[in-house]
Amino acid sequence: MPEIAFVKPAMPKHGALVLPIAEDGVPAGLHAALDKACGGAISRALEAASFKGRKGQSATIWAPVEGIARVVAIGLGKAGEISTETAEAAGGATYALVAKERDATVAAEGLPAPLAAAFALGLLLKSYRFDRYRTTEKEDDKPKLEKVSFATDAATACKNAWAPLRAIAEGVFIARDLVSEPPNVLHPVEMAERCKPLEKLGLTIEILGPKEMKKLGMGALLGVAQGSAVEPRMVVMQWLGASGGTSAAAKKKPAQKPVAFIGKGVTFDTGGISIKPAGGMEDMKWDMAGAGTVIGLMAALAGRKAKVDAVGLVGLVENMPSGTAQRPGDVVKTASGQTVEVINTDAEGRLVLCDVMHYAQARFDPRFMVDLATLTGAIIIALGHEHAGMFSNDDTLAQQLSAAGKPVAEAVWRMPLGEAYDKQLKSEIADMKNVGGRPGGSITAAQFIQRFVDKGRPWAHLDIAGVAWSSKDLPTAPKGATAFGVRLLDRLVADHYEG
Amino acid sequence: MIGAEVRLRAAPKPGVALAVPVPAGGVRAARWAPLAAGFAAGLGEQRDCATPEGRVLLLGAGQPQRGAEWEAVGAAAVRAAGPLKRLALMAHGLPPEAAVALATGAALAAWHPHEAPLRRLDLVVDNPAAVAPLWARAEAAVQGALFTRELTALPGNVLHPAAFAARLEELADHGIRVDVLGEKRLRRLGAGALLAVGAGARHGPRLAVLRWRGQFAVPPVAFIGKGITFDTGGISIKPAEGMERMTSDMAGAAACAGAMLALALRNSPAPAVAVLAIAENSMGAESYRPGDVLRTMSGRTVEVVDTDAEGRLVLADALHYAASQFQPQAMLDLATLTGAMVTALGSHRAGIFTNNAALQAQAAAAGEQVGEALWPMPIGTRHREDLASAIADLKQCCSGALLPDASHAAAFLREFAGDTPWAHLDIAGVRLDEKGLPTGFGARLLDRLVELFFEHPDRH
Repeated sequence: MPEIAFVKPAMPKHGALVLPIAEDGVPAGLHAALDKACGGAISRALEAASFKGRKGQSATIWAPVEGIARVVAIGLGKAGEISTETAEAAGGATYALVAKERDATVAAEGLPAPLAAAFALGLLLKSYRFDRYRTTEKEDDKPKLEKVSFATDAATACKNAWAPLRAIAEGVFIARDLVSEPPNVLHPVEMAERCKPLEKLGLTIEILGPKEMKKLGMGALLGVAQGSAVEPRMVVMQWLGASGGTSAAAKKKPAQKPVAFIGKGVTFDTGGISIKPAGGMEDMKWDMAGAGTVIGLMAALAGRKAKVDAVGLVGLVENMPSGTAQRPGDVVKTASGQTVEVINTDAEGRLVLCDVMHYAQARFDPRFMVDLATLTGAIIIALGHEHAGMFSNDDTLAQQLSAAGKPVAEAVWRMPLGEAYDKQLKSEIADMKNVGGRPGGSITAAQFIQRFVDKGRPWAHLDIAGVAWSSKDLPTAPKGATAFGVRLLDRLVADHYEG
Repeated sequence: MIGAEVRLRAAPKPGVALAVPVPAGGVRAARWAPLAAGFAAGLGEQRDCATPEGRVLLLGAGQPQRGAEWEAVGAAAVRAAGPLKRLALMAHGLPPEAAVALATGAALAAWHPHEAPLRRLDLVVDNPAAVAPLWARAEAAVQGALFTRELTALPGNVLHPAAFAARLEELADHGIRVDVLGEKRLRRLGAGALLAVGAGARHGPRLAVLRWRGQFAVPPVAFIGKGITFDTGGISIKPAEGMERMTSDMAGAAACAGAMLALALRNSPAPAVAVLAIAENSMGAESYRPGDVLRTMSGRTVEVVDTDAEGRLVLADALHYAASQFQPQAMLDLATLTGAMVTALGSHRAGIFTNNAALQAQAAAAGEQVGEALWPMPIGTRHREDLASAIADLKQCCSGALLPDASHAAAFLREFAGDTPWAHLDIAGVRLDEKGLPTGFGARLLDRLVELFFEHPDRH
């Protein structure tokens, strides 16, 4: 992760100089100084490159003066209309253009502190790289960027704006790391272990194994796990930011009911006995993205010392076919007491979620509950890769989520719930089936989950199957794990549930 | 007149089976109280009683508030009555709107394509004269919906493009101007997409244009319908299983035609047009192929990726025709367009895609009133980007698995709507009920949309 610094403006002696430029912006600060030093060559070069400062535009000028290896101009669009989203995207676009330099200086004199910080966030998020399993990559091919200095006259304001964003970026990176890890490395036991270091941030971490889960009656989660050689885990993470931290007193008597986030963590999903087709099955390593996101979110909230009491719970299992695996036709008893006829062992995510959600409500009585899961292929067919599907029993929470997603480019699209869909889950032998057929497949999945939400409890389910992983580069994420949801839910908390 | 005839009466005729809705809280009239002793009156409950005056059917009605809920009670009455020729509905004490909704639900439920014994419904109300004008409006919508169902139920060998056009020409009897554009005129218009889709079938494609003048001198509201009389998928042929349901792939066009009939029957003051793209997507030496590039009527070129994504092609030409010929106030297209829509919303809601939020809200409100529910779906930046073609202005769809094809289709259609306020209703999941019979979805919605939002006198 490149280091980000905010410093007094001074002409860099090496590396890259980045010029964020608005349309019709007048050169000032380092931009003007450099232009003067090289006799107007910067202005001429930008004109020759037809660089106008439009959103998405960029231009590189090589070695205009001694010491500076490259000058990168990056467009911000119309001055006065620059949003944090635009600044983030500009920062993200900048990263690729300066990654081969060891250091870069951003001439940020013209950017107000929130935009400078957003630029830095975009750049940092785009710099993410998961390369721990590459052993033969040539040095020349690797990015080299170690430090990015933002030249600004408002260094203190920028640092203040940056501190929480840095914590959020770390949460995003934790989530992306977990999602990117291969499934032989990141199995349920290992994933639970990786939550422990978060105690350093002030989180309380509890890990439950099969013995405890059996006692809690989590027959649905255990049924999914029983085909794997690796034991399942449930991790309970608590952040008592409103109640004064990790003190025993705070834990005993929190000042408020917490908000709750629940994540599906299927570390690999073969489909089980209802096995998936081979093509693309490797993608199923990221079937734990909901859990990875919740872990990253909890790290972000703790890292920025959010003034909220929050709990994050993840159910971690591996869905494997084997002699001990669950079969289609099995009936399992959930922690809530309701019974489920397992029609398709590949609809396992909801079986994991229902037990964890029941536990979360019984123990914490949360103000609201949001669950995240790469739950259905149907949501990809419904919405594609630009929106996560959102299902909610509460219009206020739904509106808050919709609003929170826009500025952080993690958009959600509300999908319907209703009795007619719920009826598709009717079983002849148990309280419900675990699938409702192809029509409205992601809706019936949400209906299933809703049966485990206490009456009157605000709840939203985010089906992130289409957005957890990107097959192409995004403005602030390289292709691969996106950590979709960390920023959205952090924003939800920041906008409505702090203080 | 399609289906059972509804007549208003002040009193039930003795000997005719009488359905009595019982709202939660008990019967309204003392007369039925002895029969209703211990009857819980929850929605869906019923009690069949033999009385000296004839058969009395008590129907639990719950607490109906909206019209759609009263319709459900009326439908339950018909189902509970069994195979009768005549049935009376007791609506004494009900507000006229509720009585009319009760009859609407009953009349719609009484329809069946070939085994509908019920010929007569007596709606028993306190004051028939006061209810009559309301019923006349409702009956128009019912007739529109039943016309839609009749067309949709017809098999592909009976309702081929020529036959579909002929059926539409019958609407001239109701004051609707009907023009059917054949292949020659379509060629002159440059309707390359519609012509290509229809090329493989024995009966060539048609563009049917229905016009209702109304009384207001304003641009019309336009309905655009997909009318694929049978969809084999073409060269990109469909799997055999379930292909027989493709006889209903013209349900969108049928719904538009049904809505026009409703407007005409109730003499709506609002001008309206329907542009129906009619073709059979079959296979033959003349069939269009994946990889073909078509020039649409708008001049835009389209790369064909999958000949089974034919609906959006015929609609492209129909939308352009409607927008350029009529400069409508608003355009709504209805189409059984994508399997993706079924995966997304199932069979309880149709998806609506739009370039105009107000129109979307209006259509959704109309749908709620008539029990034809919509749900807004997105057209994202990425959906449009996915249609970039290397050889033409745009691709018709994408190939692969797990594709948001309903949104891709909507992004495609939006290109042909221009600046006209436009909404696209993908009715693939709602065109048939659980028994496989056509629902007529859309005809009543469009009729109600016009009634609610396009008949205000300010629109003169």
